[in-house]
Amino acid sequence: MTKPSIPLGLVFSRTGPYAMMAREMEKSALMAVDEINQSGEFDFQFVPHLRDPGGVVAAYHTACDDLIREERVAHIVGCYTSASRKQVIPIVERTERLLWHPARYEGFESSDNVIYVGAAPNHTVVPLVRHMLDHIASDVFCIGSNYVWTWETNRVIREIVTSAGGRILAERLLELGETAIDHIVAEVIARKPPALFNTLVGESSYVFMRALHEATTRAGIAIPILSCSLAEPELKLIGEQASVGCITSSAYFESIADPENRAFVGRWKARHGDDSIPCVDGQSTYVCVMLLARAIRRAGSVDVNAVRRAAANHRYDSPQGPIWVDPDNNHCFLTPRLARSVHGGQFKIFWEADAPERPDPYLSNLDLTAIGARVQKSHEMKREMKRASHLRVVK
Amino acid sequence: MTGTSPFAVRGRSALMVMRDEREMSILRRQLGRLGMSVTEHDPDDLAAPVKSVDVIVLDADSIPIEGDAASTWKVDTPIIALIGIETPSRLKWLLDLQPASFLVKPLRSAGLYTALVVAFDTAQRRLDDAAHIERLEHRIRSRRVVFSAVLQIMRHHALSEQDAFALIRQTSMRHRTTIEQLCADIIAGGGMPKRTSRTA
Repeated sequence: MTKPSIPLGLVFSRTGPYAMMAREMEKSALMAVDEINQSGEFDFQFVPHLRDPGGVVAAYHTACDDLIREERVAHIVGCYTSASRKQVIPIVERTERLLWHPARYEGFESSDNVIYVGAAPNHTVVPLVRHMLDHIASDVFCIGSNYVWTWETNRVIREIVTSAGGRILAERLLELGETAIDHIVAEVIARKPPALFNTLVGESSYVFMRALHEATTRAGIAIPILSCSLAEPELKLIGEQASVGCITSSAYFESIADPENRAFVGRWKARHGDDSIPCVDGQSTYVCVMLLARAIRRAGSVDVNAVRRAAANHRYDSPQGPIWVDPDNNHCFLTPRLARSVHGGQFKIFWEADAPERPDPYLSNLDLTAIGARVQKSHEMKREMKRASHLRVVK
Repeated sequence: MTGTSPFAVRGRSALMVMRDEREMSILRRQLGRLGMSVTEHDPDDLAAPVKSVDVIVLDADSIPIEGDAASTWKVDTPIIALIGIETPSRLKWLLDLQPASFLVKPLRSAGLYTALVVAFDTAQRRLDDAAHIERLEHRIRSRRVVFSAVLQIMRHHALSEQDAFALIRQTSMRHRTTIEQLCADIIAGGGMPKRTSRTA
């Protein structure tokens, strides 16, 4: 007996500048679709309709328009960049459809017709900067790609760091895809910053990490690197030596030990091969499709209003842990984590939040004075500890 | 307020600094309906446009925050900013350009006329304010001249400061000139000038 079909739009740029990540996301969406279609737990099946806008911003509009008119989809999973999401939002708002958006982004948006499954800025950049201030340094050198993610991340870093009495030592930006980075590596080596925040993306980041590793090794110095975008497949691309030791913030790492994730990784490897590793955006795309399927099941309908209501506060034990949609802003409660990259293209998690954190896309609950006071206190404690050990030595 | 009415948009010229063809076509059509002429400028082209226009419609998202691109658009011509990304980092960049008005993307046929009227009105008010400030600054710069002239009249005519200033003020009104100009004449001529042809 075949289950009734529900058309599902998948919009990923399998070709173009960020094809590698988009292919991972599409693979993950199709894996979730197959699991749902084969599962007895869902009394319907998804019929995926794939569209490839080729990374061309204007083509996202056409792709979604076509999915809605021709394939009659009520729900679309896709987009990776903010520019592409901004193209899709007017159509889903006008036609009252839902876009399920897997990628983390810089925040400052909240559409009734988008379910934001990726992390909000309070899940990614904020815990990472807090960790840096508490345990590494309060002065930081920032390097990133010249686009909205870096601009906004750097702004948040600057706000938090300066409110805690620290300094932004430099802010260097490279055009997307730029690989002429020797002058910046030379500057970093010359200034030896106590911390380096890397928001470069793609090839620029890989080339920079390799060159910096070589230069720091030659100079015999170590500079802690922080990132809130590095993922497992990228560690491989950077190379074994140069990719180790980077402190990274993310809602998902392949190494999460929970049974849901170990089972997910097992199914992933059975499907894509032992060498293949699910990454944060891929996992998040899988979660998008699962959240959608569960909301449709709960609503008993694909109707957008019913599905949105059914998705709200409905907990799903996903590979990245418990996750649910906050109906206040359509972003997700999820668990921020910090990890250090280690040998073997993996991350070792050293901190995670006690419980899933409420999404704060406008960072309106970011309490800068509290962070500043905390850092002051931790510095005082360090001074106390130094004094205490000094006393012990005297005794 | 001086200048053309901000509601009169027919015959004015607009420059589009945009990338998205769909939004450009909406704008072209709508500006055409309002009787305005339209020229285009590639956002990647850092050279300032040669021809002067009445208003610039600038898609903020098409220009990187860092680099020299923004300085091309720090001009006296009023700017209508098109806003897609509402992050504080982008908005801070935009504030530096002092947009006279804005529109939120995606563009629709409604809203453009309001944005144009607000932009033209803002531009005119800025011109008026600048002229007003210039006049005030001129008066501040003339303070020393006025002070010297008052002293001179006090000495020459054995008057109190109050009476000397009153005399200067009355004379300037009679001569239909400003106090500052009369004071400059007093200092240049070594005394109160005779009535000149300036009086009609």
